[in-house]
Amino acid sequence: MKDQETMSTLVHNARNPLNRISMQAELAKMMVTQGLPTDKIIAALDKVLQGCQDCSAQLEEISNHVKQPPE
Amino acid sequence: MKILVVDDDTEFCEAAAMMLNLLQHEVLTAHSLSDALNCLEENLSGKDPIEHVLLDFMLPDGSGLHLIDVAQKFSSAPFITLVTGHPSVKQMVSSLAGPNVNYILKPVNKQNLEAALLGQNTNAQQYEDFGVTRHFDCLVGESLAMQQLYTMIERVSKTHANVMLMGESGTGKEVVANAIHNASQPKGKLIASNCGAFSRDLIGSELFGHEKGAFTGAINRKIGVFEQAQDGTLFLDEITEMPIDYQPNLLRALETQQVVRVGGTKEIPVNCRVISATNRSEQDIAEKQVLREDIYFRLAVFPIRIPPLRERKEDIPSLSQLFLAQLNHQHGTAYTLSETQVDRLIAYDWPGNVRELKHAIHRAYIMADPASQEVSLPQSFASPFTKNSTSGNNPLVPGQRIDDVERELIKVTLEQLGGDKPQAAKMLGISLKTLYNRLNKYGDCENDPTA
Repeated sequence: MKDQETMSTLVHNARNPLNRISMQAELAKMMVTQGLPTDKIIAALDKVLQGCQDCSAQLEEISNHVKQPPE
Repeated sequence: MKILVVDDDTEFCEAAAMMLNLLQHEVLTAHSLSDALNCLEENLSGKDPIEHVLLDFMLPDGSGLHLIDVAQKFSSAPFITLVTGHPSVKQMVSSLAGPNVNYILKPVNKQNLEAALLGQNTNAQQYEDFGVTRHFDCLVGESLAMQQLYTMIERVSKTHANVMLMGESGTGKEVVANAIHNASQPKGKLIASNCGAFSRDLIGSELFGHEKGAFTGAINRKIGVFEQAQDGTLFLDEITEMPIDYQPNLLRALETQQVVRVGGTKEIPVNCRVISATNRSEQDIAEKQVLREDIYFRLAVFPIRIPPLRERKEDIPSLSQLFLAQLNHQHGTAYTLSETQVDRLIAYDWPGNVRELKHAIHRAYIMADPASQEVSLPQSFASPFTKNSTSGNNPLVPGQRIDDVERELIKVTLEQLGGDKPQAAKMLGISLKTLYNRLNKYGDCENDPTA
């Protein structure tokens, strides 16, 4: 039971960077369409890249959790 | 619209505020329940109240549900959208009091945000349709050309303006009409009618209806399409095929917003947005005089050009996969498209547009080899119709003079760009001066006021 709770917390934690990626990518698209300055678009894309790193770290944590032998 | 975003995650608030600003909304933010309650109290009693709240469940000083309770006590209660990462919230939302609450599932994107602002609960649907996002529940494509189209649909949906859709055959004019109707969320229905299919004698009856006994064969009263579309949308396809001598009757209905059934005397008020469509260009409409000038301006208050598929080739993979997934779903199969096949689909120009692509996928599906689990594309996509079109588009013949080819290339580039010479020069890889020199040489500048 506890294991399930940990897993759902880990999955929840992975959703946050995914959400950031989605929103910042959407923002970048909207800024390109509306001709906003490049530095703003790059800032949004940097956040997408950072979100990918964070998401990867969260997945790594999930993977480590799965590999742990049951108590 | 004035929107309050409530979340303790400042980055989420910032990103949501920026997206909403770009969608032309006014945004306030709050990072705690107490901040949000204060903000609501200040803004709900004023002249310019908050109309919508984007709300996180878990706030540092309490639950977002408390804010829903408080907000519903105001006379101008805002619509509330809960933002959550948990699909289970769906059940909870349905049990919450009042129809003014919906939810968005993370990850948040433009489509689910827009749907939530319209008061819809469409979040779950976007992944159900074979992994392809449908904008306004019907349009597929993420290319720049389609994004621009979505922006126009969004803008016009907030008004009652009549829209004229211009696009080549097969671009999906009726689907765009459907999108405008969905985005506008009118009370009435979308009624589609094809002016090219009307019998000359029955146009009046089709549009305005007839009374019993109005003419031989009128055994019952008939309600016309204008009345059927009351408080909704009337889609008149192939509007330029309507006989020009009948157009004054249509003009009168548009101007007075009243119709009289054939054989009747009573003026019946009608209220609907008219979306008309044609596959002719604006120039063609004017030159061939297929539409009276006065009626053109009534119908084309907001003209929208639908891009042909060759101008949004990046959408070909998702459209092809969608059509194939629909066929697989229908027949319980699992055929796929290989990368090489998708590349071939992208390489072709699709003069028949999305309709032609859909038929090509259907044909490839029928021809699929069950052993390989792959669909089977034909050697050539060309049809009897496309042959004429491609020969017109590709005028190169062996031995043709280079000057002539160059002149043709400049001409088609300028046509494609609506006469934008700096852009054409950039696209052709020559200086603007060189472009002007060439145009002068051909004598094409003589009648050009921009030259």
